[in-house]
Amino acid sequence: MSILSYNGGCVLAMKGKGCVAIASDRRFGVQTSTLAMDFQRIFEMGPHLYIGLPGLATDTLTVHERLRFRLNLYELRESRKIKPQTFSAMVSNLLYERRFGPYFVEPVIAGLDPVTWEPFISAMDLIGCPNMPEDFVVAGTCAEQLFGMCEALWEPNLEPDDLFETISQALMNAFDRDAISGWGGVVHIIEKDKVTTRMLKTRMD
Amino acid sequence: MIKKSSVMSCRPTHSSIEWPTIKPEVLSKGLSTVSVLECCPISTVSFESSMACTMNNSISDLLSPDWLTSEHSTGTSIMAVEFNGGVVIGADSRTSTGAYVANRVTDKLTKITNHIYCCRSGSAADTQAIADIVNYHLEFHEVQLGEAPLVKTAASVFQELCYNYRDQLTAGIICAGWDRRHGGQVFNIPLGGMCVRQSFAIGGSGSTYVFGFVDSNFKKGMTKDECVQFVLKTLALAMSRDGSSGGVVRLGIITEDGIERRTVLGNELPRFYED
Repeated sequence: MSILSYNGGCVLAMKGKGCVAIASDRRFGVQTSTLAMDFQRIFEMGPHLYIGLPGLATDTLTVHERLRFRLNLYELRESRKIKPQTFSAMVSNLLYERRFGPYFVEPVIAGLDPVTWEPFISAMDLIGCPNMPEDFVVAGTCAEQLFGMCEALWEPNLEPDDLFETISQALMNAFDRDAISGWGGVVHIIEKDKVTTRMLKTRMD
Repeated sequence: MIKKSSVMSCRPTHSSIEWPTIKPEVLSKGLSTVSVLECCPISTVSFESSMACTMNNSISDLLSPDWLTSEHSTGTSIMAVEFNGGVVIGADSRTSTGAYVANRVTDKLTKITNHIYCCRSGSAADTQAIADIVNYHLEFHEVQLGEAPLVKTAASVFQELCYNYRDQLTAGIICAGWDRRHGGQVFNIPLGGMCVRQSFAIGGSGSTYVFGFVDSNFKKGMTKDECVQFVLKTLALAMSRDGSSGGVVRLGIITEDGIERRTVLGNELPRFYED
């Protein structure tokens, strides 16, 4: 069985009008056995920059820590907050350095440009090939289900509240069809002046 | 007139149990029998989910998604409890193909006769085929006998199939029901084909998480409603921990009057420690 589906989990991000949203499930398990329902997969890398790291849980933690190290050095040298596009390139570089012995994570990045407040989302595969579409990105063990839900529900220029509804429904209905994702959900809505984090009350099976 | 089952193309004309040989290629797609034994070395009662047992058989399997190459499995949580006057049977409702939930409202409580039901776990195809065949044999037997068959007869037919074809099947079955002579009975027929009567039985991949719970909470002489609550709590706990179990809880209460079926939805199930 695939190493990327050993722990299970999923992340998705969507663009809205002047905002972005990123959401994930909260399960941590070993194959079909669930061990925790409060596992954090999305990390805050800046006031308006979030990264989700679905995949092998040990690599989720390691990549987050290594990335935080590089980002801190960048911000010390440049004396400014990083742009999401540059951060995406930094993640891609970190992953490709391990081209022949990769980290088993498929990052999803969501953020707002610190100067222009332009919404930005990006996703990449486990060796760092970036993908920066205009609508939504998905990753994880129920990626196919997430693709279907997002394709059906997403529309351009959603307001933050509508975006929250859309992303929550897409996430929950997708991981209800996956045996190794779910057990709770978390959604972050990132706007220019605030970030709203909500926990979803979901089926715990 | 012998009723034809849709499963088989030829029908035995005598009453002993026969089954045309299953071609190994059909069964080995996504699930080799050798890998089942490798995955279940210790316990014959618990059942490993299909995810742990699915082995890649070719390069193309590595490239195609899990759900194209995996067998349908009712990796599951099933349970049956005896009480004075009948049995309570219960099951979850998830059928998974690899990690994909193929059916989230499955009915795993299958009728064998009006008073005898079975709870199916393991390969969906295998258990459906076995239940069909047992159904046929019991119907025939009932006609010959002139009265309702005994639960241990049904269990015995299950055992004969599961034991004689043990290398080709992945089926963990709990056969439970009521008959006039012995009242409510529960028979557990796990992977290798052993058949044992128990006061209560649990099975499926989710059962491994609740052995401690049922051992500490079962009491002899529970009433029908106490048994129902016991089954609900146990299955809710198993569904909460096991990835291959989930959905709704399907219950059946079998007494002299037949079966009373209930469905308990996800939001009505007992909830346990959560942050």
